Amino acid sequence: MPDVVSILKDKFRLAVFSVQVTKDDFPTIWVDAGSIINMLDFLKNEIDQPYKMLYDLTAIDEQARNHRDANPESVFTIVYQLLSFERNSFLRIKTPLTITEPSIPSATAVWPSANWYEREIYDLFGVKFTGHPDLRRILMPKTWVGHPLQKCHPARATEMAPYQLPEPKQVAEEAAMQFKPEEWGLNKTIADDELMFLNLGPQHPGTHGILRLVVQLDGEDIMKVVPDIGFHHRGAEKMGERQSWHSYIPYTDRVEYLGGVMNNFPYVMAVEKLGGIAVPERAKVIRILMSELFRISSHLVWYGTFAGDLGMLTPVFFMFNDREKVFDIVEAICGARMHPSWFRIGGVTQDLPNGWKKLIQEFVDYFPKKLKEYNGMVMQNSIFKARTVGIGIYTTEEAIDWGITGPGLRATGFEWDFRKKQPYSGYENFEFDVPTGKNGDCYDRAVVRVEEMRQSLRIIQQCLDNMPEGPYKSDHPLTTPPVKKNTLEDIETLINHFLNVSWGPVIPPGEAFCSVEATKGNNGYYLISDGNVTSYRTRIRTPSFPHMQLVPLIAQGYTLPDLMAILGSVDYVLSDVDR
Amino acid sequence: MTWWTSKVNDPAAVSGNSSFEETVQQSVVLTNMESMVAWGRKNSVWPFNFGLSCCYVEMATSLTSKYDIARFGSEVIRGTPREADMMIIAGTVFIKMAPVIRQLYEQMMAPRWVISMGSCANSGGMYDIYSVVQGVDKFMPVDVYVPGCPPRPDAFMEGLLLMRDQIGQERRPLNWVVGSQGIIKPPEISLKESKREERMRMTGLRSPDEI
Repeated sequence: MPDVVSILKDKFRLAVFSVQVTKDDFPTIWVDAGSIINMLDFLKNEIDQPYKMLYDLTAIDEQARNHRDANPESVFTIVYQLLSFERNSFLRIKTPLTITEPSIPSATAVWPSANWYEREIYDLFGVKFTGHPDLRRILMPKTWVGHPLQKCHPARATEMAPYQLPEPKQVAEEAAMQFKPEEWGLNKTIADDELMFLNLGPQHPGTHGILRLVVQLDGEDIMKVVPDIGFHHRGAEKMGERQSWHSYIPYTDRVEYLGGVMNNFPYVMAVEKLGGIAVPERAKVIRILMSELFRISSHLVWYGTFAGDLGMLTPVFFMFNDREKVFDIVEAICGARMHPSWFRIGGVTQDLPNGWKKLIQEFVDYFPKKLKEYNGMVMQNSIFKARTVGIGIYTTEEAIDWGITGPGLRATGFEWDFRKKQPYSGYENFEFDVPTGKNGDCYDRAVVRVEEMRQSLRIIQQCLDNMPEGPYKSDHPLTTPPVKKNTLEDIETLINHFLNVSWGPVIPPGEAFCSVEATKGNNGYYLISDGNVTSYRTRIRTPSFPHMQLVPLIAQGYTLPDLMAILGSVDYVLSDVDR
Repeated sequence: MTWWTSKVNDPAAVSGNSSFEETVQQSVVLTNMESMVAWGRKNSVWPFNFGLSCCYVEMATSLTSKYDIARFGSEVIRGTPREADMMIIAGTVFIKMAPVIRQLYEQMMAPRWVISMGSCANSGGMYDIYSVVQGVDKFMPVDVYVPGCPPRPDAFMEGLLLMRDQIGQERRPLNWVVGSQGIIKPPEISLKESKREERMRMTGLRSPDEI
C-alpha cells in the first residue's frame, strides 16, 4: 500500500510543498494554506485507514529561527497533528503563513474539536481563522494586549510593568468578565420562556479548580454549558523558550500537578529523541515504576473527590490516607511529594535507595484489599450508581472526533492505550490488561479508572520482581548532569558536567514529539530545537484541554446536579487545561 | 486569658491550702472581654474553601486524617467568603484571576486574615511569566507567608499555628473607644530569624541512599 505522503502528493500535487524529516520519524509535510481544509477532509473521511483524530493543532512563530533547512518560507507555521487508529500512526501537516497579518481557513467544519485549538492559536499567536464560529481569546483575559507566544512578546512578568490593581482597573476587569449571553452565543429566551443563566466559578467547590462555566437552564434542565477557561494559564509553553533543557523539567511536573514525575516522562523522552540519547534499561524500569505509582496517587485523588462531588464525604478521607502511603514511597525515593522533578535527560536523578523494594512491596500487598473495600463503599453504592449510570454518555465516534484519549476513550469500549499500542520505555515487556467500559457514561469512566489502579499494581509488582541491574543514567555527553562519579575520572565528562550544569546542554537542531499514556489521557511534548541551550518552541499537548471542550456536549439535556457528576467523571486538572 | 482544665478530685491540681483565691481559680475564669473574644477567634479560624492550583491539593490534604487540621479548629471550610475568617491563597496568582481574588477577599467580613501559601503566591516563585502576578501582596494584604512549592501540609499547618498565635494577641476594639480606634497587631515575626540557630546546628543530613 502506498504511504500517506505519496497518496497526498498524487492527489494534491502542487499543494504539497515539501516533506520534512523529523527526529520522531512522523510523516511531516508542508502544505499550501489554500488546500488545507480539503486535505484534512480527505484524510479524515476519504482515505483508506483514515486519520480520525485531530490530535493536536498548534502554531510556531518562525521569526527568530536559524535552522529552517529547506522548509518553505514561513512567519507563522500552523501544525496539524493527526492520529490514525487503523494505521496506528501520526501524521503532521504544516502550513506556512507568510504575510504579516496571517489568516487561514478554519478546520472547525472538519473537526469540531479544532474550535478551541484555533482560538488558542488566535489568542497566543494572533493568527486569524476565517470561518471560525467564535474567534475570541480563550486563555488570556479579554483586556490583554498582544499575543504572548509571539517571539516579540515579553516572557517575564518582570520585563513588563509591575502589576497593579487600582480600583478603576478592578472595575474595568470585572466589567470585561461580565457575562453577556449574546457575546457567548446564547439566547435569553426559548419560544416565550425566559431562560435562566447560572454562573459557576471561577471560584466554586464543584469545579475542582479555577474554571468558569455558564450554564443555560430551562428549569433544572441544562440547555447549554459554556466553559470559560484560561484562569490557570501559567505560560508553561513560553517558559520552555527561556529555561534550559534541563531546568525546564520542574515546570513539567506542574503542568498536570497530580501526575508528578509522569509529566517529566514525555518531556525527557522527547529531548532524548532530539539528542539521540539511549536510556539504560534500569532507568526505563524505574521511570515506569514511579509513573505507575503516580497514576495510583492521581486516581486516588479523583476517586475520593468524585465520590465527594456526589455527596459522599467519607471516601475522600480513606483515599487521601492511601495517597499518603504512596507519597511516603515517593518521598523516600525522590525526596519530595507532589513535584519531585525526578527524571533527568538520559535517566533519573539517582539510583533507588536501599530498602526501596520492601517499602513498595508493603504497599502493593496492602492496597488491593483497600480497593476491594472502596469498591463496596463507592462503586456498589446505590446512590452513587443512580447518579452516574447513564449520565454523561458519549460514543467512541464522538470521543475520537473530539480528541478524547485515556480512560475517557476506553470507557466507550474502545481499547486504545498508548502503553500497548505505541509502547515506550519498555512497556512492551510488561503484562497488564487495558480495562474498557461499555456505555461511555460517568460510571464506566469510574470503572475504568478503578481497574487501572489494579493494573498499575500489577506493573509495579513486575518492576519489583524484574528490576534490571546497571546504571540509572546514560553516559551520553548530553545527559544532564552526567554521572558525578565519572567526572572525577575523565576530563571529557568533567567538561560536559560543567557546561551542562552552568549553561545547560546544547541539543542538536530538530523536532521531536513524544507522548505518554498519562493519568488523564495522552500527554505529549512537541519540542523544536534550534541548536541552542533552550528549546525554540515547546508545545504541550495535554489531555484535559480537549476533554474540557467536550463537556458542553455531554452535559446537554441533563440536570444541574448531573453536571457535577460529569465534571468529576471527566477528571481534568485546570493546570492541564490551561497550561 | 490563662486557664486550664483538670480532672475532678485530681489532687495535683490543688495546692491544698484551700484558700479563697485557689477555690475561685478552680471554677472561675477571670478575663476581659477583648481577650475572650480573641481567644474564641484564635481557636475557630474558619477557612474559605478557595484554591488556585497545586498548593490547594496540599491544603486539602491537611484536612484529611493524617494531618487533621481539626485539631486547631480550622476544619470548617466554608464555600462562601461571607462565612469565612481566613483566606488561603493556595497557588499561583494569575493575572486573569487577580480581580476575582480581590473581590472574594473584599467579600469576606472583618476580622479576616490571609495566608499566602506557596512560592507562587508569595512572590511569583518559579513563574516569572507574563500571566502571573509576582506575589498576591501586590494587590491585597497578607498576614502569613508559607514557603514551599508546594508547602507540605505540615508547613501549611505551621503557618496556620503562627497565624493563630498572632490572632490571639491581636487587639480589636469591640466598641468605640477613646484612642486610635485601630487594630493593634502584635509585631511580625520572622521564622527565618528565630529558627536560624537551630538550623545552623543541623550539619549532618540524612543520606538519600537510605530510606
